[in-house]
Amino acid sequence: MKDRHLSLNQTQRVRLEAALHELQSLAPAAASAAAVTVADTIPVNQEDNILKGHGTSDQDGEVVATLCGVVERVNKLVYVRTLRARYKPEVGDIIVGRVIEIAPKRWRLEINFSQDAVLMLSSMNLPDGIQRRRTAVDELNMRSIFEENDVICAEVRGFQHDGSLHLQARSEKYGKLERGQLLMVPPYLVKRKKQHFHHLEQYNVDLILGCNGFIWVGEHVVVGEKTKPTGGQQRFSTEAENFTPLETRKHICRLANAVRVLSALGFTLTVELIIETMEASVSSNAEINDMLGAEFYVQTAEREAKRRADLLRKKNGAR
Amino acid sequence: MVGLSEGEKHFIHGGIAQDIRTDGRRRLQFRALSVQTGVIPQADWWLLVLQANGSAHVRLGATEIIASVKAELGKPSILHPDKGKVSIFVDCSPTAEPMFEGRGSEELSAELSVALQRCLLGGKSGAGAAIDLSSLIVVEGKVCWDLYIDGLVVSSDGNLLDALSAAIKVALSDTGIPKVNVSLSAASDEEPEVDVSDEEFLQFDTSSVPVIITLTKVGRHYIVDATSEEESQMSSAVSVSVNRHGQICGLTKRGGAGLDPSVILDMISVAKHVSQQFISLLDSEIAAAEAEAEE
Repeated sequence: MKDRHLSLNQTQRVRLEAALHELQSLAPAAASAAAVTVADTIPVNQEDNILKGHGTSDQDGEVVATLCGVVERVNKLVYVRTLRARYKPEVGDIIVGRVIEIAPKRWRLEINFSQDAVLMLSSMNLPDGIQRRRTAVDELNMRSIFEENDVICAEVRGFQHDGSLHLQARSEKYGKLERGQLLMVPPYLVKRKKQHFHHLEQYNVDLILGCNGFIWVGEHVVVGEKTKPTGGQQRFSTEAENFTPLETRKHICRLANAVRVLSALGFTLTVELIIETMEASVSSNAEINDMLGAEFYVQTAEREAKRRADLLRKKNGAR
Repeated sequence: MVGLSEGEKHFIHGGIAQDIRTDGRRRLQFRALSVQTGVIPQADWWLLVLQANGSAHVRLGATEIIASVKAELGKPSILHPDKGKVSIFVDCSPTAEPMFEGRGSEELSAELSVALQRCLLGGKSGAGAAIDLSSLIVVEGKVCWDLYIDGLVVSSDGNLLDALSAAIKVALSDTGIPKVNVSLSAASDEEPEVDVSDEEFLQFDTSSVPVIITLTKVGRHYIVDATSEEESQMSSAVSVSVNRHGQICGLTKRGGAGLDPSVILDMISVAKHVSQQFISLLDSEIAAAEAEAEE
């Protein structure tokens, strides 16, 4: 996502700095691990046989960082982990990707990884739902399942020996995503949780937090209708009856703006936080577009600082 | 440019039809505008590379433009000895899009430059130019100011023309033309001696410089300030250049789809209406930026 620049007036700037300062002080001590920039020396006990990992290099007998990030130590390995890196997949992650190419018996997807991910035709349910061998006719009809530029939700199946990523979309809840918008945020903001699919009943909206930083906000689709082949352009005639209802659209736009604001502030994206931000905007009667303005940005930072302070107080009080 | 799936395109069309775009804006609403002046230093003996008489950095949402105005002494053309010269060029930086690397941006830059020249410079004789070319003359027939206006697209997220025109207007308001003292002893056929002052500057009057409003037609509705996603869905776009008095200074239509003449007239009147708000917003931003610069 492109960075947004906000022009804050003096009071807003002061309030924002106060909120960010409070958030910094509330962060657990371990989080303020040694942050290094390029050419910083990493403090290392010279007697141990330290293995120099990614992002480090040996300069005059000292271990020097070559990247900007946080120093991580695992036994004898010392490496620098960057914050805004590309997505690092793990088996079982739920991801949202965009089809960029159709190759023999597979689709290639862009998922903000160093390579394109591959979704094999055999890892995908056929439209008729029957379990059978994929024939040559199936291969020729791949476009009727997914076309180029389609947005797809899938799961990481594993890595191949050559390092490429394989996906699978066998379950009913995976498949093509339509009637909504795709947002791209830095991958480190989406932590791995138990649930990545969220059906927000009160808004009739589906929210999918892909571990690769692609977030889908769209109209709710009943599970089981996803892999129906599209009959060409017929479903998408520009008739008013076919559009998303106005109320749902307002909710979708508010949720999307909430995600944009939270990712601009660098807060970890969880469903509760997104919904809370959205409800705060509704209760303060902010226009949907004003959520991207300076005032709401500062208010969100203040609200989050207050929430974390309350949480910490409750934890300390419970002891 | 990322492609869009059919579902996303349908969502965008629906949003525009229902007056709620993907970021919650109405059809005739602009994105957040942020303006900075004086981003490129004025004449500095030590800085041999980058100098400008006036400059501006304008952000319209995620679209960023840097405009600079350089003034150099030159000879006026023989056909118009009483007018100075202005030339406008646009360059698209590869930081905006990878495809702008090398010669990839030539077509787009040329299109934008021509559109801006038509809107701001008037006809071949210099008649009807937004910038008063007669004010650029130093010695009639011999010495005049040549203004080189350059626009650089740093980040591209749609609506480049509007952002460029806003940036040029702001850069011109920030421009100071050095005062020139002409020595009176020059004979009529000799080159007169001119002394360019380092201290005194004349500010430009930009109240008559027009702004460009682009109306993008998607489906049956027009939107103002389209993002690059929305622009990819357009059937046609009409860019109207309007000045403070509501007069039309230029008109460009892009896109292959044909438009009914009544539709074009309607788009022009909508653009006129929107431009008044945009001009007043831009003027207040310029005043704020100037006030900040003086602090």
